[in-house]
Amino acid sequence: MGLLAGKRVFSIMALCMMVGLLLLPIVVALPSLAIGEEAPAGDAAKKDGDKVEKGRDVYYKTEGIVVGAPAPKTVDGPRDYPRYNFESRVLLWFANQQHLYYGSFVLAVPIFCMIIEFMGVVTKDKALAKRYDQLAYDFIKISLTAYSLTAILGGILIFTFLTLYPAFFSYLSGIFRPVMHIYALMFVAESGTLYIYYYGWDKMKEGFLKWIHLSMSVILNIIGTLLMFLANSWIGFMMSPAGVDEQGRYLGNIWHVIHTALWNPLNLHRILGNMAFGGGVVAAYAAYKFLASKTDEDRAHYDWMGYIAMALGVAFLIPLPFAGYWLMREVYAYRQQMGITLMGGLLAWLFIIQATMIGILFLSTNYYLWQAMGRMRGAEKYQRYIKYLVFILACGYMVFITPHTMVMTPAELKAMGGQQHPVLGNYGVMSAKNGGINVIITTTVLSFVWYMRGNKVSTVSWAKFGNIFMGIFFACAYFNIIFLAVYGYYIPANVRVGLSVPQVATTLSCLFFMFALNSVMMKGAKQLGPIEWGKISARSQYALIMLATAFTWMMGLMGYIRSSVRLFWHVNEIMRDNSPWAYTHTVGFAANMISFNVLFFWITILFVFWLGSLGAKKVPVESKAGIPGSIPQPIASH
Amino acid sequence: MKALMSLGALIGVAGLLLLGGMVLDVVPSTYIRLVEGYMPIQMLLEVACYVIGFTGLSYTLNAMGMAIPRFWQGIGFWVFFLLYLKYRMYPPIPFSVRAMYGTVSLVAVFMWVSASEEDWQKFKQPIMNVLDAQTGGNRLLRYLYLVLLPILIGGFSFNAMMPKSEEPIELRTVHPAPPASTKVHGKTYTLQTSQNPYRVNPEGKYDQEFSNANIVEQGMGRLMKPNANPWDDKNQGYLKYVREGGEIFYQNCHFCHGDNLNGRGLHAFAFNPIPANFTDPGTIAQLQETFIFWRVSKGGIGLPNEGFPWASVMPPWEQHLTVDEIWKVVLFEYWHTGYYPRTWD
Repeated sequence: MGLLAGKRVFSIMALCMMVGLLLLPIVVALPSLAIGEEAPAGDAAKKDGDKVEKGRDVYYKTEGIVVGAPAPKTVDGPRDYPRYNFESRVLLWFANQQHLYYGSFVLAVPIFCMIIEFMGVVTKDKALAKRYDQLAYDFIKISLTAYSLTAILGGILIFTFLTLYPAFFSYLSGIFRPVMHIYALMFVAESGTLYIYYYGWDKMKEGFLKWIHLSMSVILNIIGTLLMFLANSWIGFMMSPAGVDEQGRYLGNIWHVIHTALWNPLNLHRILGNMAFGGGVVAAYAAYKFLASKTDEDRAHYDWMGYIAMALGVAFLIPLPFAGYWLMREVYAYRQQMGITLMGGLLAWLFIIQATMIGILFLSTNYYLWQAMGRMRGAEKYQRYIKYLVFILACGYMVFITPHTMVMTPAELKAMGGQQHPVLGNYGVMSAKNGGINVIITTTVLSFVWYMRGNKVSTVSWAKFGNIFMGIFFACAYFNIIFLAVYGYYIPANVRVGLSVPQVATTLSCLFFMFALNSVMMKGAKQLGPIEWGKISARSQYALIMLATAFTWMMGLMGYIRSSVRLFWHVNEIMRDNSPWAYTHTVGFAANMISFNVLFFWITILFVFWLGSLGAKKVPVESKAGIPGSIPQPIASH
Repeated sequence: MKALMSLGALIGVAGLLLLGGMVLDVVPSTYIRLVEGYMPIQMLLEVACYVIGFTGLSYTLNAMGMAIPRFWQGIGFWVFFLLYLKYRMYPPIPFSVRAMYGTVSLVAVFMWVSASEEDWQKFKQPIMNVLDAQTGGNRLLRYLYLVLLPILIGGFSFNAMMPKSEEPIELRTVHPAPPASTKVHGKTYTLQTSQNPYRVNPEGKYDQEFSNANIVEQGMGRLMKPNANPWDDKNQGYLKYVREGGEIFYQNCHFCHGDNLNGRGLHAFAFNPIPANFTDPGTIAQLQETFIFWRVSKGGIGLPNEGFPWASVMPPWEQHLTVDEIWKVVLFEYWHTGYYPRTWD
């Protein structure tokens, strides 16, 4: 009893410490914020008597006292651009990308842990709760090694900046000076919280203590998210600067510098992207372990783990295109030039590659779900209709990836009679593409619904009506999406842009209403057979690996697109890039570089997985897990 | 059900015969016309009809005891789709796009034949039979593959590496990003905020809604709206300026851009690429009016770096027309095509 009370006190103290860690950077930074706003201005006022120079914010159009130096006008030379005998930009690209991969991973995985741990806490089935808890622990274990690597890569990134782009980094750190240390302290808080969370797992595994432990994961994720928001404010500033005047002089309002035109869309897009990416990586880990498993127990466990990771990843993948759409909308609103460079001009072909990758993600997901139906008895009734889903997906995909500017020889151009193809040219514009991607997502939702009811037969009295209603609902959704895609050609562009709202609403209605209705219908449903975890084809696991690789490649691609849209600016329209590398790489070079980054990440993450597996000890399983219908058991001790 | 499937089979056979005719050049690709204004949906519906037809055909043959093995179903469908793209669609689709579609359809076929374990076993059985070579025929096939596959791959490699005399592929940016502002006849225009000064109602006030209500109807034929005839002398405001823009267009632009603004003017085919087709939804319909103003004013010579290889012979019209005339021509182009310029509100 005394021991329990002691643990309770200890855990509450740990939680308080975490809250303290969360608040510490803010408290510490308060004076620096104040100094950041007033002290330099005060100094300036002292020097120049009563004369205070004022500047106009380039974005907010407000007036402020100039407290910073103008953006340096760099020249190509060892002072501003010292270099090795190599393209500095490529080195920075590599360091940045690797840091981002690991950063995304370690920010996403604790969110998964939080969700899965919560599911374990609220689940009444004790065996299932134990499974969830073990899974959450497995997840955090994977991220722990990756966490140190993230910090190391962050250090490498800063050294790369300092060594190769000192003038630019000095300017950027000058602008963000008031929050630079908050960022560093947040990192300390994140590390502290993560270690307490991880090492306190066994000590706080039951009752009230478990809730305290769960609360820790919430705090851990708040810190992680704030960290990411701060990092996003730097890239947001580089793309759409605010809080500075035309010369790039800081005007004393750090909130303006952080809260730029693209900050919020970037924040949302990155949260969702990180989650989808994290899910993909964990699913690939599970797939790898599944393929390497020698026993049915292991296969059952990793099959289940892969499924959960995939489901979580895809749950965040589905709204990702909509968040991306919002980001692009804000980019257009900020600078039309930037929007056209991205989607209609110089970088348009990269967007076609992006569309291809998005399609691969959804196709892989659908394929995995169809394969997963193979491990449940009764799902055969749906399998014969899969060919029609394939057809719908393929049509949506082909429309989605059709380029606006087609690659062709002059002879083909002549034969076609112009730059635009009269049939396929119509697929190359946004109206059709919105239709294409919404059809793909709706089909993915349909696959999920089929999977969820694969081995069940509804026993509710209105089952027949419910099934008919669901069928009609999906049919109407497809009709509405396609109708709006066609209608978009007949209305003004500003109204057409607005049509994406009902299209998205249709897709999300399918997601939420159909999932909800299906869950109600399947409550207390008759089971045709158990889910035989582990009895899934190897192809499904390759689909998971494909999913993760596509995520990684797409992240690299989109990061490159976002960065290169600044063209020859370090900070858009404020600080010009005068290095010899202020040009846009060819599509081929960019693709090779992205592939190299992806390959490097996967090689190193495999090393991380291997390191993680060194600590795992086998324990005898309590029951014969893995046999048809049984629950996969935890395979490693903490 | 059986009757429906028989009907499907009939459609499938008819479709295959038609496509076969097109491949053998017995039936022209235009035998079943692609109807202007409905072409993209027509293509998707045609492919859907084929899928229904093949389903019916497969069902019927199965019922007759002549089931087509899954392996050949998969291969057959993929070959059908490649042939459809090559011989049915007109004008010809560039190889790069056919390659993309071909890859997607190959992936789709793979997903279909391997969606369930049973299907996958059926699909790979003929391959396994040849590899196992238990019968004389399969043994012969295996040897044939052993010889033919390297030759085939070698042939592809040779073909890919062989120097070609045709012009190289150009990855052309058709709509390069515009500058933030452009200077025409000494005045600077901010592209994001400038407006066409002639998009006005009869009272002379800027009125987007009014002009939108008076453009021609889209779709086949493109008809003028009732009481919206720009050539009626009584019309004032927007329609009057459309008429004036039309006069300028037919004096200067139609030689290349064509009477119907479809890029097929008198001189069009002297150029490669031919002039822009304004009736295509991928051109002016996607752009702000100020973008067109900038392009017309500066011409091919004023294309920015990303417009490489600057394949445009359009003259910089600011050297021949006044600012007012350029705005009026732009107004006319939107009116005639029935498209609305992109706006951001």
